[in-house]
Amino acid sequence: MDWSKENELLVIPLLLGCFAVWWLMPSAKKRPRIVGVLAGLAACIMIQGMLLPQAGDYIRSVLFFVFAAAAVISAGLMITDRNPVYSALWFALVTLSVCGLFLLNAAPFLSAATIIVYAGAIIVTFLFVIMLAQQAGTATSYDQQPIQPLMATVVGFILLGVLLFTLQEWGAIDGTSTNEHAEPRQFIAVPAEIQPNPLSQAPHDNPHEIGSLRVLGRSLFGDYLFAVEIAGTVLLIATIGAIAIAPRRAQGTL
Amino acid sequence: MTATVLESQLVVGATLFILGVVGFLTRRNLILIMLSAELMLHGVSINLTAFSRYHGNPQGQVFTIFVLTIAACEAGLALSLILSLYQRRKSLDIFLWGKLGEDDLPVFTGTPAPPITVSVDPNVDLPHLTPAGRMPKTQPGPQTKT
Amino acid sequence: MTNWLNENILWLIPAAPLLACLWIVLVGQVIGRKYAHRPLVLGLAVSLAASLYLLTVVVPHGFGHDEHESSHSVMTTVYQWIKIGTIDVPVTLRADAMSALMLTMVTSVSLLVAIFASSYMKGDPGYPRFFAAMSLFVFSMCMLVLAGNFLLLFVFWEAVGLCSYLLIGFWFHKPSAAAAAKKAFVVNRIGDFGLILGIFLIWQTFGTLDFAALFESPKLIDGILAGQPDILHWICILLFIGAVGKSAQFPLQVWLPDAMEGPTPVSALIHAATMVTAGVYLVARCTPFFVHAPYVQMTVAGIGAATALIAAITALTQYDLKRVLAYSTVSQLGYMFMSLGAAGGGEGLALHAVTFAMFHMFTHAFFKAVLFLSAGSVMHAMGDVIDMRRFSGLRKALPITHWTFLAGALALAGVPLLSGFWSKDEILAVLAAASREGEHAGFYGIILAIALLTSLMTAFYTFRAYFMTFWGEEKFPEEAGHHPHDAPPAMAVPLAILAVAALGIGLMTGPTHLYGHYLHHTPGLPHADEFPIDWLMMGISSILAAVGIGTAYQLYVVSPKIVENLQRRLSLAYQASQNGLYIDWFGYKFIAAPLRGLAAICEFVDRWVIDALVDCVGFIPGLFGSIIRPIQNGMVQNYAAVMMLGLVVCLISVLRVLVETH
Repeated sequence: MDWSKENELLVIPLLLGCFAVWWLMPSAKKRPRIVGVLAGLAACIMIQGMLLPQAGDYIRSVLFFVFAAAAVISAGLMITDRNPVYSALWFALVTLSVCGLFLLNAAPFLSAATIIVYAGAIIVTFLFVIMLAQQAGTATSYDQQPIQPLMATVVGFILLGVLLFTLQEWGAIDGTSTNEHAEPRQFIAVPAEIQPNPLSQAPHDNPHEIGSLRVLGRSLFGDYLFAVEIAGTVLLIATIGAIAIAPRRAQGTL
Repeated sequence: MTATVLESQLVVGATLFILGVVGFLTRRNLILIMLSAELMLHGVSINLTAFSRYHGNPQGQVFTIFVLTIAACEAGLALSLILSLYQRRKSLDIFLWGKLGEDDLPVFTGTPAPPITVSVDPNVDLPHLTPAGRMPKTQPGPQTKT
Repeated sequence: MTNWLNENILWLIPAAPLLACLWIVLVGQVIGRKYAHRPLVLGLAVSLAASLYLLTVVVPHGFGHDEHESSHSVMTTVYQWIKIGTIDVPVTLRADAMSALMLTMVTSVSLLVAIFASSYMKGDPGYPRFFAAMSLFVFSMCMLVLAGNFLLLFVFWEAVGLCSYLLIGFWFHKPSAAAAAKKAFVVNRIGDFGLILGIFLIWQTFGTLDFAALFESPKLIDGILAGQPDILHWICILLFIGAVGKSAQFPLQVWLPDAMEGPTPVSALIHAATMVTAGVYLVARCTPFFVHAPYVQMTVAGIGAATALIAAITALTQYDLKRVLAYSTVSQLGYMFMSLGAAGGGEGLALHAVTFAMFHMFTHAFFKAVLFLSAGSVMHAMGDVIDMRRFSGLRKALPITHWTFLAGALALAGVPLLSGFWSKDEILAVLAAASREGEHAGFYGIILAIALLTSLMTAFYTFRAYFMTFWGEEKFPEEAGHHPHDAPPAMAVPLAILAVAALGIGLMTGPTHLYGHYLHHTPGLPHADEFPIDWLMMGISSILAAVGIGTAYQLYVVSPKIVENLQRRLSLAYQASQNGLYIDWFGYKFIAAPLRGLAAICEFVDRWVIDALVDCVGFIPGLFGSIIRPIQNGMVQNYAAVMMLGLVVCLISVLRVLVETH
């Protein structure tokens, strides 16, 4: 029990989050969703408290918290919503929030590309399919019945706990690591000076430029040319596959 | 660039990933299962960009681009497969596709959803598009009469 | 040329029928099914010629020569079979005077029966199969006679049993034939078990199974006798059990009458003339052992007498012509064993006892073969009807068969100057000699009395069958058609030859002692003086034969009413005789039924105890499997959940290690 007391800052939000997700799961009995929402919000606030203090640059911090909270809450609602259309829309919100986080990570091109690809293409296609399949527009019975909700939630949150515990122990999330011998950032071990890839054509001198199109393009079409070619081939094959699979056929021909 | 920012991002990425896992494990709708998988990819993408920022080189972002590419492929193929499956059973319920299990075992707990019967009400006036390259019909269709 | 013949004559005898068998099996099934008998007849002719030549090779000085010292055996090792340490069993062919005489008998009777069968079996769908089995039988029989050691003898002992099984069950679609074949096989197993135990004991005692080593050196036996005086008794009793099984002696005689389900030529060849005499041959062959076991010899005589009497009583009332002959065969085999047993009567009698047994076997082969073949001819003409009540007065319709049957019947009954008379008379004489002197004179006196009684009954039942079949008013069964036809030439010629042999062969070899003198050249037989002719026994047996024939004539030709009266008066005894003294019934009731019960218990244990245990062993892993099997329910998400669990477990264990190390 000592362990759980020492880590109650970590354990309590995890338990709360777990309860929230399980409570929000669709079920035969109608549960008041507000309980789950409140529990989830409480968990988010507590874990947000763990992430403080943030030194300086308050605008950046506030933006990060907003995007992160939006992403997590939207994700939770997405996986628990009874209506697949709403789920898809929640997923769009997750994508937008993630794009905001990309922007904070100095990846403007990536942010734009993700919005275009996901929100513009993937989610729209998903919505098309959902609407094609559920023309009545009402929630179907299989969306009301989750599989093994308790087990899946518990396993998932144990895994999350393990990951967060690792970050806490060796990443010094709150700066008060219980492991006194461990040096900060020991587990996420990276040398302070990264040796640049000698073959890389991307310039490293300006750290503010890493997300720029110029640097990305140099890296993609210089260092990762073959990978890009292969990715293109994969795309082509996937396209052909989708065209071959999707058409309506007589029963039993595929 | 503080370490705390990196770790905060890692926490968010892990949470998104786990939520994706939970969604993947619990939902019965084929499309939502695929969407949960995309959610997991988002978590991974956040990690990659955070490390890219941390290390000050573009490799993480390049990998995110690859993730994006593969996610697009996966989404396209998955949707075509889901469509194909849907045309067989007229339902997106994954319980209808439990043939992989042992024959004499009962299908996984839970009642399989009854197939949705799509009944087109003849009285509803649906819009009709003219196929490309033909003249639009000038006469009103039989459905518009009633 | 002569040298070559002398060296290779031995393997030529069995090789010819074996080649015939292979030819019929491999080629004859497809090409020339109608002529499947030809290879066999050809092979048997070669074998017969070789056997006749062998007679002169084994004893170069001829039949009349009466000198024991010049005797020797011919041996050829064909193949080295088993050689492990001290166990050395080559496939050795060994011939001496006894085997040469036996071979002559086997091949000549086989040849005649084969010719007869080529006509008799015509039109049967299994024509090639019949001749293949018959070739195999002749090959096995020749090898049995020529075997140079006990193990080889046992192999072919079993092989003739197999051929007997195949031929009894030749019409296997008939349930009775299949059952009879099975019965013969199973009953023979009992005897074979005794034989192989005896062979083991010989190996244990002497360290060798070779005939030449065992029988031609009296020193070896004397040495063993000095150390273990009783061991020969055990060996002899076990060997005799083998002989009892094969030669259908009491109490294992039950298979032979049922064996008449086979085709008649088979009954004539295997179950009258050759195979069943293998037991007699075995005991005669092992005479050097038996002379040292007088109590076993008394047992042999006792069993022989019991068999002869029981079979003769049973034969009195049978209506099945072939069954009468079958019981007669059993009875005559009992006679031979009586004769063999008489060797225990005194030192000087052993040689004569064996000689007369072998002589009776020799003559019996001919006259019983002619009787069976004539019965077969009757069957052939009567449309396979064998019940004597359904036909009578056939002597005008079937003249050839009538005369040949009469010849055989006269010989069997022991009418003076015919072959059966000489051989039977000598057996009676040697029994009389045994009952006159020695410590067991009383015992042999009883045996002699039984032999005389049996002799009377033999004459009676033989002629009862003869009169019922060929005399009285002419009557045919419907199956025969209106004009029953007599034997065709292919059947008539062997019948005639055999009939002549049945009449004359005893005269040729009996009073002149040709046979006996030749047989005395067999190495290992004890020496003895000339056996005097017993005129008294000759007279008694002639009188008994005449009385038997006369009674049969009186009862079945002159006044058949008496028979019916007798049947009514003595209905109990009549029933007992009709049913073979209930020995079969007794065997079923008190041996087969308990065994059946035991088998039922074993089956119960097997099914509910052993099977249950085995099922249990299989059930426990199945139980474990059924616990974890629901995991494999086909839902991808379940598999993914388990994967997540595994991931969690791995991560936690890695974390534990990291926490401990830091």
